[in-house]
Amino acid sequence: MNRRGRLVLGALGAVVVGVLLWEGYKAVGPADGLSVAGARVLPRTDDAAMPHVMTILSRFGDPELSGGDPIWLVVLQACLFTLRSVALGFVLGGLVGLLLAVLMQRLRIVERGLLPYVILSQTVPLIALAPVIAGWGGRLSIGSYPWQPWMSVTVIAMYLAFFPVAVGMLRGLQSPAPIAEELMRSYAAGWWQTLVKLRLPASTPYLFPALRLAAAAAVVGAVVGEISTGTRGGVGRLVIEYSREATTDPAKVFTAMIGAAALGLAVAALIGFSEFLVRRRRVRA
Amino acid sequence: MTSVVLESVSKVFNAGRADEVTALTGVDLTVERGEFVTLIGPSGCGKSTLLRLVGDLIQPSTGTVTVAGKPAHTARADQEYGIAFQQAGLFEWRTVQRNVELPLELRGTGKRERRDRAREMLELVGLGDFAGHYPAQLSGGMQQRVAIARALAVHPPLLLMDEPFGALDEMTRERLQDELLRICASTGTSTIFVTHSIPEAVYLSDRVVVMSARPGRITEVVPIDLGPRGEATRQSPGFFTGITKVRRALRGDAVPAGATS
Repeated sequence: MNRRGRLVLGALGAVVVGVLLWEGYKAVGPADGLSVAGARVLPRTDDAAMPHVMTILSRFGDPELSGGDPIWLVVLQACLFTLRSVALGFVLGGLVGLLLAVLMQRLRIVERGLLPYVILSQTVPLIALAPVIAGWGGRLSIGSYPWQPWMSVTVIAMYLAFFPVAVGMLRGLQSPAPIAEELMRSYAAGWWQTLVKLRLPASTPYLFPALRLAAAAAVVGAVVGEISTGTRGGVGRLVIEYSREATTDPAKVFTAMIGAAALGLAVAALIGFSEFLVRRRRVRA
Repeated sequence: MTSVVLESVSKVFNAGRADEVTALTGVDLTVERGEFVTLIGPSGCGKSTLLRLVGDLIQPSTGTVTVAGKPAHTARADQEYGIAFQQAGLFEWRTVQRNVELPLELRGTGKRERRDRAREMLELVGLGDFAGHYPAQLSGGMQQRVAIARALAVHPPLLLMDEPFGALDEMTRERLQDELLRICASTGTSTIFVTHSIPEAVYLSDRVVVMSARPGRITEVVPIDLGPRGEATRQSPGFFTGITKVRRALRGDAVPAGATS
């Protein structure tokens, strides 16, 4: 079988295995879960906690509220709204990360001084940071254009996305062998020429894994950002809204979660596709 | 006309610290234009250091290095030399052709001239048919030839080579030696060549510079006069005499020419 066939089959197989695990546990697991000394070790399996897969899927086709748009459309629109923050946050975060990596590579002292803060930035709980960013944003405006809540979400996505790019690209920029650097020196090549002709091309194997991480981080950042700043319109908000209906309409919250996961997959696929294009061009050139 | 002049050059690494190392001391050496000079000696004798000093990749602690009549730093800025190392050090994301074009690109040479020059150099090393290949698709010997083509691409008056054939098998090595001599002769390039191999040093050189370690210094310069090299040279008595001379010099029990033991 060819490679593509195996890939499709593998992806389908993973979905089937996931569904089988879900339904299998739901069939054999205790309805009230299992608690040992007051701590729950197995989740509950009743329809409120774990709706059937078919119930969730069919919920996509039903209206959100009686008479409204079908859920799939609502979730899709919410995903597209969030995608704007994800895409902008990813691009801006990627650029900031690249800039930091270049600065840190250029000046050892900047690496020593900056890297701890770069790492520290990721250990601050996002939940604590999000309201602060939203609060600052409320007092800003871009020219005459007032600050929008989704911009705060973008900043949060960016805040998470820059990190893997900064760390990965620093590694990539430092990856050329000493002999290659010596060669560039023998050509009397300046810092910029060495960056463009040697360091950047040499760092592409590090770039794409970093971009994948950054894309995933941007999605998480946007969804969590929407939740913790209470921004309306995105899929993060949808998760919160629907979870309030969990007792009466348990399948609903899962539609929003599947939407958020699909958003992450779509963004990851986009990165994978661009990597495919770059690699193919390189082989052809 | 001299190509390289070193005057009382020394190099100390980590000066003033506990791990201070005197890599070279009291080095005086002159390389004439078109001359082929080999540096040979045990590991740690500073031959690679000496080559890097000439290439201005490191700076001497004392003394002066003059290349093509200018200070080494100016010569490097003017790309007065081409350099090849033990590893080919090709850029894997560039085709063979674009690897050879690299030094020309950095010089700002036009696209058409770059392409023509790279083609010419690849023909010279016998790789004209591989211009569109990537380094990973070539054997070690072919990669090394690409590296030599790259070093020659700017038509440098001086070629610096640090054990460029060290990682190759004996047959490839001998063929590349002949190619290198042919190229140097046809382009009038001066060469400083670092090697571990005594036969290689004798076969290639006009003069073999014998060095010793701790501290790195030049102990003897052995002139070699074998005339034009060819297959027969490797079997000739003169070749073996040269090898014996260099070997003795390396052991440090040099016997004056004509003396009986």
